[in-house]
Amino acid sequence: MKNNNSIDITIVTSRDGKEESVLFSYEKREEKEKPMALDVLLQAQNTSIPDLAFRYGCRARNCGVCTIDINDRPRVACRARVKDGDKLSAIATLPILSDFVVRRDGIPRQLRGLQTSAQGNDLNIEAPENYHELTACIECYACLDKCPMHAKNFGGKLPKENKDKLPNPDNGYKYGNPFSLLKLERIYLDPLTSERGKELALQKAIDIGLEACIDCPGCKCGVGIDLKGKVIRPMLEKAKNKL
Amino acid sequence: MSIKVEWLDYDVIVVGSGGSGAQAAYAAAEEGAKVLLVSKDPLGSSDTKISEGLATVRESGSDDDYEEVLSENVKLAGGDLPLKNITDTFSKYSKEAYDKYRVHGLRPSINKVKNSPQSQPLPMGGHTRNRTVGHENHGIAFGHANWDAVIKEKNIDYIEDSWFLDLVVEKESSKNNNKKIHGGLIYDASKGSLLAIKAPSVVIAAGGLSTIFFPKTDTMRGNTGDSYAIAMRAGADLVDMEQLQFLPFCLASPPSYEGLLAGEPVTASYLGVLRDKNGKVILDGVHLRTRAACSEAIMRAVTDGRGSPNGGAFLDMTANKKLPRSGPYFMKFLETSLPTAYINARQALGKEAAKVETFWEVRPGAHYMMGGIRVNDEGASVGGDKEGSVNYGILGLYSAGQAMGGLFGANRLGSTSLTELAVFGNRSGKAASKNALLNKDELNNKLFIPYIKEYKKLFGQKGSISAISIKNTLQKESWSKIGPVRTLKGLKDMDSLIKKLESKLSDIAIPNYALWNQSFLDYMEVKNMLCSAKAILLAARERNGSVGGHVRLDGKNISIFSKPYSTVVRYINSNNYVVNKLERDRTPLKNLINYKLMELKRLLEAKFLLMLPESIQDRKLEKRYKNIMSATGKAPEIMPGGTDGAIGEKT
Repeated sequence: MKNNNSIDITIVTSRDGKEESVLFSYEKREEKEKPMALDVLLQAQNTSIPDLAFRYGCRARNCGVCTIDINDRPRVACRARVKDGDKLSAIATLPILSDFVVRRDGIPRQLRGLQTSAQGNDLNIEAPENYHELTACIECYACLDKCPMHAKNFGGKLPKENKDKLPNPDNGYKYGNPFSLLKLERIYLDPLTSERGKELALQKAIDIGLEACIDCPGCKCGVGIDLKGKVIRPMLEKAKNKL
Repeated sequence: MSIKVEWLDYDVIVVGSGGSGAQAAYAAAEEGAKVLLVSKDPLGSSDTKISEGLATVRESGSDDDYEEVLSENVKLAGGDLPLKNITDTFSKYSKEAYDKYRVHGLRPSINKVKNSPQSQPLPMGGHTRNRTVGHENHGIAFGHANWDAVIKEKNIDYIEDSWFLDLVVEKESSKNNNKKIHGGLIYDASKGSLLAIKAPSVVIAAGGLSTIFFPKTDTMRGNTGDSYAIAMRAGADLVDMEQLQFLPFCLASPPSYEGLLAGEPVTASYLGVLRDKNGKVILDGVHLRTRAACSEAIMRAVTDGRGSPNGGAFLDMTANKKLPRSGPYFMKFLETSLPTAYINARQALGKEAAKVETFWEVRPGAHYMMGGIRVNDEGASVGGDKEGSVNYGILGLYSAGQAMGGLFGANRLGSTSLTELAVFGNRSGKAASKNALLNKDELNNKLFIPYIKEYKKLFGQKGSISAISIKNTLQKESWSKIGPVRTLKGLKDMDSLIKKLESKLSDIAIPNYALWNQSFLDYMEVKNMLCSAKAILLAARERNGSVGGHVRLDGKNISIFSKPYSTVVRYINSNNYVVNKLERDRTPLKNLINYKLMELKRLLEAKFLLMLPESIQDRKLEKRYKNIMSATGKAPEIMPGGTDGAIGEKT
């Protein structure tokens, strides 16, 4: 029975590759409560789905691990309010391990062993302001949404649409994403990175598929970094003779 | 179905991929070791990443910031519980260790005159010198540097979504040590396998235990006491486990914000008071009080049934706000001194509260464990009397960061935890690498068998309850019994409760599939939480008076003039623990008397201020605010948990 004190939310669970939509009635703990998505998951875990699998960390939008899809759009669950009728599911851009837990490590692994540390010896050099703008990234992976470069890893589709041919993340995904490009641009902007290091960072961006950005309308950051202006355009500009 | 087991060999295993883990792994790899970094949360997603990003860097501000000055500062702040050789080491290597972060891309502002990182304009409270360096994007900047250190270094293999279950220990080794590490067992949930890793050295850097409690601050969910539980089950000593820092002014509602930091004692500023539900003042001079005193006042009101609706009290700062001249300065101070806390409060409590037109409902939240695995100045496990010896520790076991104990004792200075993990992360990584080269050839597969059997058996365990139900009970009961305030009765009740909950572990239903078995993960975490709660309980019982983060409602305050001691807890088996006291060296009497006199002077000054007519009060306060605010109208930032957040804790 639905009452004024509850909100109906669809929770999409996933076990052994089988998705199931569960209707969950969230009981408000205070009359005026406007719960976050994370509150719904926690209450579901405490009541009807005790083994519900999801990640969370700081509850204050800093750690970047609780990203899920709300109505098929990526959001940081601890700071995304939900309303009656909303649907919660795992982010669709990475392969699901269980329920809301996706395997993330194929992303960072694509920069494994990147040689950039042949740096200057004087550490007392200031970084430019745009360097710090990039360091605001919390690695929530909301930016993977609708990224054509990242989709190439899954035959231009979503992982769940391409289940039989999922790439092995152990050595990192072949094709990049806005986060990896942000990391590379940050290395490039670091005043301590050597000229050789900058070349390697730029080459890596090209190797992971920077060309996919040329005609792309742009990506959206989960914490408001201007990815197109601060990462993609500068990268394309630097690489224009090499693409 | 039986879960598959994969065997691997490494020189060093590092458990945890936050600040201390990343630094330890990098240092070990630099020494040539083959390193496995194992993390249950995504790479680098730790308390370091969500911290305020303030680091202690000696000589970054004051020129006369000598090694012995910083060392004594840390030791006195810790109520003389910290060991001098550990505070000396912290002080000696703070600059060098911080520079390792800069190699991986941490970029502070630079003081061009001194050619060094730019420190904040004023010494943070509690610090006797100017030496705190802040960073754009706070801890997230450190998170990026940790990520870079691990990702770029080819000698580090890292696995995430993997739970380090237990150390594999030889109980009586042929060498001097009683015990010796042969490696560890890991559950890789992303692949659904058990990893039996043979390794002569293991660095435990898996953070704290605040998740044992609710409410807690924004510290990571993954703080389930894994560090302490893993070390304890292997037979390592834990030191000062009763010394847990609670921040008194955390949000009590709405539920999504419960526990997040709203302010520190100094936030109350000169005229702030705490009130109970009837509006009666339960603590005045709040800005001069210790966190423990604030928590105690709140909890006494709650215990007597005079608490606020959500189990706390009201922080009333309106007197600061309403003064015509100093009021606007107070508001600036409130908004800028602890920016993240102010944003939390504004979002949670609404506009009126943000303008300090209404009271803030607050209650204490669990934050930081100051005790931990007992180690020496290289982060190596020690046991025995006084400062301890590796001969009585576990050969091959190391620790760094929040997991280790001994540096902070009963209290810590602000901005020291990020420096701690850099110094001891590096040192433990290096020492672990050296140990690995000496003890590589003597590792024994057979020792792993009982551990593998024990964990294999759990997949498919029949039962009638979920681990989450035990976790919820534990969080609630821990908060009231081993939390911000404690009584002997509460501790006794907690002991029975832990025993009861431990006996329920075998009734947790765990399905038999191997890939991301959430029930198994919850089982494991709650098992570690219970183990760490037991360590806190035993240490808390050993110390029958209040000191630092340990508040006994039914005991006296332990005078700083009495002989200081640390507590040690060691696990023998689940029914048998050794608990004792370790005497510590006291700081010379002269310094202690000075400290007491300064404290008295501050309190008298505060009382005098309140006796003045309001208009004179206002002018005096305006002058004081002007003195602490910079030209930009901002107050110097405060580190949650640091001594400047609670002037009453200054030494």
